[in-house]
Amino acid sequence: MSIEDYYNPYQMFQWPDTLPEDMWWMSPELTTTFETEVAEELTREQLFALSRFESVNFYSLNVHGIRELLIEITERIHTDDFASASEFFHHFIGEENEHMWFFAEFCQRYGGKIYKQLRGGAETVPPGEAASLLVFARILIFEELVDHFNVRMASDERLDDTIRQINRIHHQDESRHIAFGRELVKVLFERFRSRATQEELDEVRGYLGRYLTYSFETLFNPQVYRDAGIPNPLEVRRRLLEGPRRHEFEAQVFRKTLPYLTKIGLVTHETGSAVPSVEAAQ
Amino acid sequence: MTEPKATGIGVIKDWILAKHESRTDVGPDEDLIENRLVDSLSFVEFVFLIQETSGVEIDLDCLGINDVRTLATIEKRFLAG
Repeated sequence: MSIEDYYNPYQMFQWPDTLPEDMWWMSPELTTTFETEVAEELTREQLFALSRFESVNFYSLNVHGIRELLIEITERIHTDDFASASEFFHHFIGEENEHMWFFAEFCQRYGGKIYKQLRGGAETVPPGEAASLLVFARILIFEELVDHFNVRMASDERLDDTIRQINRIHHQDESRHIAFGRELVKVLFERFRSRATQEELDEVRGYLGRYLTYSFETLFNPQVYRDAGIPNPLEVRRRLLEGPRRHEFEAQVFRKTLPYLTKIGLVTHETGSAVPSVEAAQ
Repeated sequence: MTEPKATGIGVIKDWILAKHESRTDVGPDEDLIENRLVDSLSFVEFVFLIQETSGVEIDLDCLGINDVRTLATIEKRFLAG
């Protein structure tokens, strides 16, 4: 990171006491009900409310995602395997800590809470050798998903300035993180592939295919629908995930990620079959 | 003749079996987590399915892993009566 790029996140936001409720808080095209039957059943006020809670859910996902990546990076900084990446990791940790602060600040100021992250189940991360590869692949997928939203909301004039600014600042830093992450994942995968059996490769690819699906589905939080006053939130979530727009939405979100992971061989058409092809987004 | 649609705990069991093609059954006291039948990527979906099947809104703050560790526990905790 260059010195000129440096900003002080603790001072740069104005944080107005409230944000207007009669407007979009998230670009409507990025909300989970856009162009679905569910949206047709809602009034404009309900759609505004939904965008408000969906935006708080989106920033909450960022808070949880950043916590996890900070834990993983901190475990690796200045270890032998990551000696050359450690200088970058210092900047990365610093910037991610700041991002987590302003996302949490937004959630608590304007949503009154950070949405909980539901966690449990067995940890089934495949072979020990793949642990670091999967950590950085997961970080990359998460950052690229978030960036898809940031880029659009940063320039969306229908949104309040505070919302646009948060997304703009985040995108500015994430562009560098994504570029670095892509290179690191490529190197780690080449190292892993040179020693892995076919079975281990299949396991890693299968896991990442599932992780892509999991990441996308975290956008569909039933508590958000409940908070927006929409009846039967679990049924709504299921209808949206099983509905025709899901594939197009998912392909849009991963329209850069999937071709990259496929190009380097980390995801194949077979293992990533749950994720729709890029063509579906066009 | 088509199989009758599963209800209650059968829905949960069918969901697990659909994700693990090598399995033909899941015992009522089998540890779903230890046996990796429910992993960290499927856990959210699993909890939502229990809520949908039972009609009980689960307080996620109070949900312990032991509440959903076996089919017998799930049935007793969320589906009985």
